[in-house]
Amino acid sequence: MSKKVTPWLDNLLQEIEGIEIRRKDSRRVRIDIAADSLPTLLELLRGRAGYVHLSAITCVDWIDESQFELVYQLWSYESQSLVSAHIRIARDPGVYVSVFDLYQPAAFFERDIHEMFGVYFEGSPDMSKFILTEWNGPPPMRKEFDAEAWVNETFERKEYQPDWLKEITEQGGGIVKSPEEARQKKP
Amino acid sequence: MKEIDIPIEASVDRNRTNPLARVFDELVRFCRSRSMFMLHYCTGCGAIELPPAMTSRFDMERLGIQPMVTPRQADILLITGYVSIKTLKRVILTYEQMGSPKYVIGICSCTVNGGMYWQSYATAKQLDQYLPVDLYIAGCMPRPEAVLEGMRKLMDRIRSGEADGWKDYYRRYDWYLGNQQHLFGDDWQTPADVIGEASHYDLAGPGTEGEHTRLLQQCQKPLEPQQTFFQIGGSLEVKGESHE
Ligand code: SF4
Repeated sequence: MSKKVTPWLDNLLQEIEGIEIRRKDSRRVRIDIAADSLPTLLELLRGRAGYVHLSAITCVDWIDESQFELVYQLWSYESQSLVSAHIRIARDPGVYVSVFDLYQPAAFFERDIHEMFGVYFEGSPDMSKFILTEWNGPPPMRKEFDAEAWVNETFERKEYQPDWLKEITEQGGGIVKSPEEARQKKP
Repeated sequence: MKEIDIPIEASVDRNRTNPLARVFDELVRFCRSRSMFMLHYCTGCGAIELPPAMTSRFDMERLGIQPMVTPRQADILLITGYVSIKTLKRVILTYEQMGSPKYVIGICSCTVNGGMYWQSYATAKQLDQYLPVDLYIAGCMPRPEAVLEGMRKLMDRIRSGEADGWKDYYRRYDWYLGNQQHLFGDDWQTPADVIGEASHYDLAGPGTEGEHTRLLQQCQKPLEPQQTFFQIGGSLEVKGESHE
């Protein structure tokens, strides 16, 4: 088997509506697809094209567009190639269907995304707390969560002002060379 | 379960009349500083400098410091790097299980003031708000030389009797507990009876009990034996209780 995303896969995929396929290189394809069609696409890729391994589901918070982007990374052992399927869902209410029935590892990824971004996956076997068992605040990876403000509110800081540091501060801080300056000097 | 009453001899009635008591104390402290068992709780990336410090290149053992695998037999609790809030709970549980006298060393800048995780929601910033830290070794991460230097410093302080953070934990337990409750919520509890231990060591002071310990007593739930489950042929069976 050639180590390429097979050309016939392209033909097959063209039949799905609202799909945009971009070849990143010979072994990598990016697919943007409407959220409704994703389960169909995954079923097709798994059943017909050998993409049996779901390596990850990742989430991106596009707060200005009020959308979440979900990226499904699929790997085929036969053609040794990677397909990443991108969908956008509305940020509010942030609900999507689980793909657990197709790929069982999805349970962990979905649980993780639910914890970090608050996206709810319907039909996922377990949406309880996963890693942040001690956390009661809002999902921390959402862009509107201000970690710095939360830290300032929750923790105190130790003051550390020894004399040697004062001297350096008077001379303009600990940064001897500004980053711009350092960059310019390089040929 | 049957309640067992173990009579505890209070150290108050023990008079130190022996004229050699002080000499003896000094000897004890010297011996203590030369034989330290170290429980290294590798919480963060700073732990990577410990293998070279312990193995043949820098060889901590020549100072009498050895790694130990259980908290109950260890003297030093070494916190190597950032402590996430989740880890901090485990660290406190571990610390309270250690037998006194016990010493806490915070390695890495992250334990001092948050280090490079200063704005992270997941890590606790100052370790000494939750545990009595005897010594900090700053650096990101400190080299094995610095670790050894810190260890020697701790030895000196043990010999001179200055390293008494564990007494501070008993004396000001209410303050430490308050900070712990602030992070973990009001229902935070550990199996150790710190107040009882404090009075056993004759260290209970005005700061041992207070509003936070009262809150602890209000919320305290009796500890239940943990049950172990084994799954056999699809059905769930209770096989035993781990406390027996
Ligand atoms: S101080 Fe640096 S090396 Fe140490 S735990 Fe923090 S980030 Fe890691």
